[in-house]
Amino acid sequence: MSVYAEQRGIDAIFSDYERISRTLMDHKSAELNIAIFFCQQLDPNQDVNRRVLERELGKRIRFFPLPCSGRIDSLHLMRALESGADKVYVVTCPEGACHYREGNIRAKKRIAYTQGLIEEIGLERECLELIVAPVGTAVTIDELAKGLLARKAPISRSPVHGQKA
Amino acid sequence: MITAERKPLSEIKEMIAPYKKILVVGCGSCVAECASGGEKEVGLLSSQLRMDAKASGKEIDLKEMTLDRQCVYEFIDQLTDVIGQYDIVLSLACGAGVQAVAEVFPKVPIVPALNTTFLGETKEAGLWIENCRGCGDCKLGVFAAVCPVTRCAKGLFNGPCGGSKTDRCEVDPNVPCAWQLIVSRLEDMGRLDLLRKVHPPVDWSKQQGKGPRKIYREDQRA
Repeated sequence: MSVYAEQRGIDAIFSDYERISRTLMDHKSAELNIAIFFCQQLDPNQDVNRRVLERELGKRIRFFPLPCSGRIDSLHLMRALESGADKVYVVTCPEGACHYREGNIRAKKRIAYTQGLIEEIGLERECLELIVAPVGTAVTIDELAKGLLARKAPISRSPVHGQKA
Repeated sequence: MITAERKPLSEIKEMIAPYKKILVVGCGSCVAECASGGEKEVGLLSSQLRMDAKASGKEIDLKEMTLDRQCVYEFIDQLTDVIGQYDIVLSLACGAGVQAVAEVFPKVPIVPALNTTFLGETKEAGLWIENCRGCGDCKLGVFAAVCPVTRCAKGLFNGPCGGSKTDRCEVDPNVPCAWQLIVSRLEDMGRLDLLRKVHPPVDWSKQQGKGPRKIYREDQRA
């Protein structure tokens, strides 16, 4: 690790990446694999709530709590797609409600940048989606995730991981 | 700082198409600062290439590495033990870095993933601005540390063109008039007298027309 990389916090990004890469998703299920990066400020009980859904759905779903959605990096999103996710959501606080003022605005820009990268390799930009949590309503991450899972999939399976059974 | 931008993926893919084993090498100096060729950008490009290959049913073996600098032998030497295992090096360095690596390993194809652009500064997060042409005859001491060769659209040495409007350049209103900056800074410093001197045109022979430039210092040599 170069001194420069340490200054940029890249060591932290790469250790996150290692975690994401180890989290290989289900390549056999007929359902889409979903990765959800979310601001943990949204749900104080996220650690308990998300595990319920993780146990229920196994490797079909992966949650990545962030201290703030502004912590998200293009590399996280790319590695999640590479590790087996067909669809990646980034869930942020409502605009104007970020605990760190503008983390959710940064997250939006990073998603837009990464959408450009995946379009270059022929993936649909809809593989990455920003979800802004509703204003003034308490959110639990499992309920929010169930809502996302219940949506009619606007994307096809990722060609990166081949056809599933 | 030398700035660069990543080439379109299609161009990169065309260069590496005949090869299976690819060493992707970043540079942790200038191009890392301008977010085009550092460790993270190596990761992003490698992810793209791996996913693209998988989607098109092609097999590639790709290794990511980032050197602190690709333009200095002591750092390039870190490739010595691994480069033989790969068919090609995809370098995310500036043009100088790519050529320096190619000099050390002349039998291995080294291709650039970046387009080197200009010498500049990080103005703010995500914004890099050219402020030096490397003309070889720096006059910043006379012009209050504002380079008219680079920052004046017309490269004027002896005062403003007269076309600027409310301190903005007439060629690009997003850019401040370099001569406005020069005059107001000299005024603040009480050195308007520096403007009395008439300057001859830039001596471009110090920058170009003689092949690659060279700096030679005996005291720095081994």
